[in-house]
Amino acid sequence: MKFGKVSKEEFGMNKFRNDTGAHAIVLTEIGSSSFDSEGDWFKLVYKVHRRILIVDKNGYDEANMVITLYRGGEQEEKLLNLKASTYNLENGQVVETKMDGKSVFSEKIDKEYVNKRFTMPAVKEGSIIEYSYTVHSPFYQRLRPWNFQGEYPRLWSEYQVAIPEYFDYVQIQQGFESFAVKKSEIVRQTFSFVDRGASAGASSSTFTATPTVGKFTWASQDVPAIHPEKFITTTRNYVNRIEFQLSGITLPNTPRSSKQSTWGELMKNLMEDKDMGKYLTEPNYFLESMVNSLVSNTSSNEEKARKIYDWVRDNITKVGDDQIWTSQSLKTTFNSKKGNITDINILLGAMLIKAGLNAEAIVLSTRDHGYVFQHYPIYSRFNYTIIGLTLDDRYVTLDASDPLMGFGRLPIDCYNGGARKVNAFGDQLMLSADSIFEQRTTSVSILGMENGKMKGMRSRKSGYFESLALREKIKEEGKDKYLESLNKANNGLEINNLEFDGLDSLDKQLIESCNFEYAVDNPDIIYFTPMMDEAYKKNPFIAMERKFPVEMPYVSDEVFTLNWAIPQGYEVDELPKSARATLNGNDGYFEYILQQSDGYIQFRFRLQLKKANFLPEEYATLREFFDLVVKKQAEQIVLKKKK
Amino acid sequence: MQKHFCITWVLCCIFPCLLKAANPFYPVKDIPAALKENAHAVIRLDETNLTIRSLSDVRYVRHYIVTIMNEGGAKEAGLYLHYDQFTSIRSVDGTLYDVDGNKVKSLKNSEIKDISAVDDGSLMTDARMKMHNFYYNVYPYTVEYKVEISVATTAFLPTWSPQSDYECSLQEAKLSVDAPADFNLRYKGAQCQETPVITKEKNRTVYTWQISNQPAVKKEAFSGRISQVLPTVFLGPANFKISGYEGSMSDWNSFGTFFYKLNENRDVLPDNTKAVVHKLVDGLSTDKEKINTLYRYLQKNYRYISLQFGIGGWQTFDAASVAAKGYGDCKALSNYMMALLKEAGIKSNCVIIKAGEGEHRIREDFPSSQFNHVILCVPGAKDTTWLECTSQTLPPGYLSSFTDNRLGLLVDEKNSKLVRTPVYDMNSNRQIRNIEATIDDKGDAVVNAVTLYTGIQQDDLHSRIHSLGNDKQLEHLRKYLDFSSYDVTKFNYSEIPGDIPSIREDLSIKATSYAAVTGKRIFITPNMMTKSLSRFYKAEARKTPVYIDFSYVDTDTVHISVPAGYKPEALPPKVNLDTRFGRYSSQCTFEGNRLTFIRKRECYQGEYPPAAYPELADYYNAITQADKAKVVLVKE
Repeated sequence: MKFGKVSKEEFGMNKFRNDTGAHAIVLTEIGSSSFDSEGDWFKLVYKVHRRILIVDKNGYDEANMVITLYRGGEQEEKLLNLKASTYNLENGQVVETKMDGKSVFSEKIDKEYVNKRFTMPAVKEGSIIEYSYTVHSPFYQRLRPWNFQGEYPRLWSEYQVAIPEYFDYVQIQQGFESFAVKKSEIVRQTFSFVDRGASAGASSSTFTATPTVGKFTWASQDVPAIHPEKFITTTRNYVNRIEFQLSGITLPNTPRSSKQSTWGELMKNLMEDKDMGKYLTEPNYFLESMVNSLVSNTSSNEEKARKIYDWVRDNITKVGDDQIWTSQSLKTTFNSKKGNITDINILLGAMLIKAGLNAEAIVLSTRDHGYVFQHYPIYSRFNYTIIGLTLDDRYVTLDASDPLMGFGRLPIDCYNGGARKVNAFGDQLMLSADSIFEQRTTSVSILGMENGKMKGMRSRKSGYFESLALREKIKEEGKDKYLESLNKANNGLEINNLEFDGLDSLDKQLIESCNFEYAVDNPDIIYFTPMMDEAYKKNPFIAMERKFPVEMPYVSDEVFTLNWAIPQGYEVDELPKSARATLNGNDGYFEYILQQSDGYIQFRFRLQLKKANFLPEEYATLREFFDLVVKKQAEQIVLKKKK
Repeated sequence: MQKHFCITWVLCCIFPCLLKAANPFYPVKDIPAALKENAHAVIRLDETNLTIRSLSDVRYVRHYIVTIMNEGGAKEAGLYLHYDQFTSIRSVDGTLYDVDGNKVKSLKNSEIKDISAVDDGSLMTDARMKMHNFYYNVYPYTVEYKVEISVATTAFLPTWSPQSDYECSLQEAKLSVDAPADFNLRYKGAQCQETPVITKEKNRTVYTWQISNQPAVKKEAFSGRISQVLPTVFLGPANFKISGYEGSMSDWNSFGTFFYKLNENRDVLPDNTKAVVHKLVDGLSTDKEKINTLYRYLQKNYRYISLQFGIGGWQTFDAASVAAKGYGDCKALSNYMMALLKEAGIKSNCVIIKAGEGEHRIREDFPSSQFNHVILCVPGAKDTTWLECTSQTLPPGYLSSFTDNRLGLLVDEKNSKLVRTPVYDMNSNRQIRNIEATIDDKGDAVVNAVTLYTGIQQDDLHSRIHSLGNDKQLEHLRKYLDFSSYDVTKFNYSEIPGDIPSIREDLSIKATSYAAVTGKRIFITPNMMTKSLSRFYKAEARKTPVYIDFSYVDTDTVHISVPAGYKPEALPPKVNLDTRFGRYSSQCTFEGNRLTFIRKRECYQGEYPPAAYPELADYYNAITQADKAKVVLVKE
């Protein structure tokens, strides 16, 4: 592809297969990463050349570009050779409008990152935009990844990488789409260096090296756009992508300096890293008096651990983005009482260790950050740190960053497969959604009827994660507002005497109980939906089709029971039929059982999902199963006044 | 769709002051009980001093102390200081105290974050922001900040609103403005003392306002903007100077004249654009055709981007640069459209306005910079045409709820003035729906619905069909309709042009188990698609007026065929409600296996006193009740 050579035919490529929704189409994109000499050593050279057809106005965002550059210590990345043009077809001719060089703005994000922003001129519906640029980087660990797939379809997406033998990178590929081109070859290439000498005044000399260079090319053709679906961890897990992690550098005539290779080595490095695990091995004298005062008068290890956990959770506030590196010294975290996820949990670990307990760090990738590839040990896949603690005969996992989290509990987002213990073995710790059991139990009794209103009591024990959300809500808006929101729900229930049991017992499930009244429209005939407001109003699986697996955050079990004393002077006219169903054998279970005896109507409902992840092929059955649930829940009991 | 530009300067400014020697410092136990009620945060003290040293040198010093009662008040704990080339932050001090008033720690300069205030809509601005937060989470606690800022213009005197938010009470606050005796300070107090205490010394005049013991105000449904509820002092200069330009805000005409001068001669088109204009309009006979043609040309060839530096908040990029780049912000595109029209021999004016749904009110008695957007007004002999130049999709002459029914400042060489944008009345904003449905003996329904949306009732749909492709539109429909389990089998939208735009929607829906079938009965909600779902609570006495933003009318006619052999056991009662807020009627009949449901709802735009609220709540709750009523059919 040559810059500026846009053909008329390219303007006609505004349809992509059946995807009528594409606001833009990437016609061609070619990227490359290679090494070049700079002074006495190498630099990374990243080039991008992209041509995009703007199909309609909603694709205009593609004309606004941001390039992020990194700066570390004395060195920084540089943006060079930026060229950008817009092409429009006017009277059958391709007319080019070049971007003015002054239209590039720098925006400093923080100490390390700078954004270069620019926008293309003369963009209209049907325009083609084209840009190319080069980034020089002295940071070998920033060999850039490449996404072959994105928000818009791509007709051709190609990435070339050339790596001299001195550098070892681990390559990681993922995605559902196949490559049209995938090749590699080994060539020899000569690089010239200038050695300026060790001291000022020393004369400079030039030298050359001719290493072998591994050249790789990947290209994809006609890649559809990727769209998020409900109940999915993140589309990052499914997008076609290739990424790199520096694993070692071998200079001529010197032993290889390994950047890492095995999980054990990777985690051992992390354990010794001054921005991570090293804090757990230091004496940390400044923690002593606080730890001593917390653990005085405790009798068991668990009690010690709980005191320290509560203190960290209640006093240190989480700020900043999630990452596995501390953002500041441990002492700063302790004194300023704020820090990122790793600052907080490393402080927790250090305090537990100070109290003589056996704690270690664990790193993981949260669900929205994507999976960890268990065969490729790389840091960039992780974004979250928690603490593992051995307490006598059990192992508990702790996260002190959420002020409402209970001891031994983790946020739902942590259950994303294999986490790694930061110890010399790099042991895997499985945190799977299938291992969390979210159980909710509701029991309702209706014992009387006065002035056209049924009166009853309800007690509900929410699942742990639902309890967490409820505690959060009540903490934020107060019990009164919560009650108000229940009464605004437009379901005919008037709720009073709302009580909570366990609002402050953060590691337990919350129990909510209340009295309620339910007004009957017509006293001659009562129609009543037994699950009241607990019924699903909608099938949660809305979409008819499914492309990716269904990934729910946990397995669940809901039980609802109703005990209804038939009011004086009424008789049952009609009861919905009882029903039971299973999903795919043993994946789910549903029961809806109604019976009448001794002046009472007894009702029991149960819905179990015994696994959290379903394949796309299982989706249709899952949806039908929930259709049945929704249908049964809508059925009504009918009572009539006795004549 | 459209975006704002920013010409308001945000006041968050302040002052080093002597620490009280007394210890402890503002302990929580000293807060009067009445100020704790409904309060997530209590402003203990706010002292703001403005010193106008000259037309291009204003100093703000603010010292404030706020107690954060619980997590709900945490958003009041942070310090946010906007700055740009006119504004420099001279000093920031802060201290954190615990519940008893013991000092926990002081702010360190290294903890202040300095970030770019670029939002998604902006390519670039020079606006930046400094932020600080102690991120303490042991409630309650108290923070104290002292800030000093200097601003190189009197154009942006701040609006003072010390009781910063709902659910936030105020113990004590004081504003003083120290100005040269010959500086003509304009002011207006709302919900507090209207005029200040004025003291004169030598060559200076000092104006002082004081507010104390204001209880927290709860946010209420249908309430107005916060500045219409909480104590606020509006300040403005008569004369000001900005980047070498001098102007006056003493009345709307002179403020408009300033804008006119600032943007004068920026409407020169390059020759090739002039040629395009003539090619497009020379054959057309009426102004209306010319305006429409040029507006469509603008929409097709130029796009919106926010770009602002320095005085760029007020001064437009010139027409030549818009022509070259193909983009501009609201000022630049309006100015460019004005230039195109001028070339076609049609005069038009830019109108500076406060955009946003529901932003209907400005203080017309207080000329000042209360705006964030620019549109174009083309005065005509018979009718005036209004153009939203940042939209690529609106029909010519239609403004939508983004800028409807409000006063804006029309900028003219000699006669700048406030003008009102069009009001879209009840009959402009209609939703007319006809449904033919069939329910089988399992309760599954096949629904065919045809709906005509007009005016403001089509605004959201308009953006949706213009921003989403067909697959995304279908995805939206499959997600947001109010059926428990359903599929949309066919849909179509057609736009009907006109001064008030309309969209016709055709939907075919399969709704599984729409009706609940229990043995011998079928339960059906005959109001299939136009249900009011909200329920209003009237537990406490209403404090703020009730606003209804715009008028509209909905009519529904639903026919449902049901399986043979059923007769009605219960039919929803006929409902007729007639109130000052609107009218509602619904009725349902059953004849020959066919249910017919007819509903009409009229809603009237207006402002009503707080005492009207219970009546409004009763009315709305009665609608909600009527909308969910069910038909019960039983086997014969």
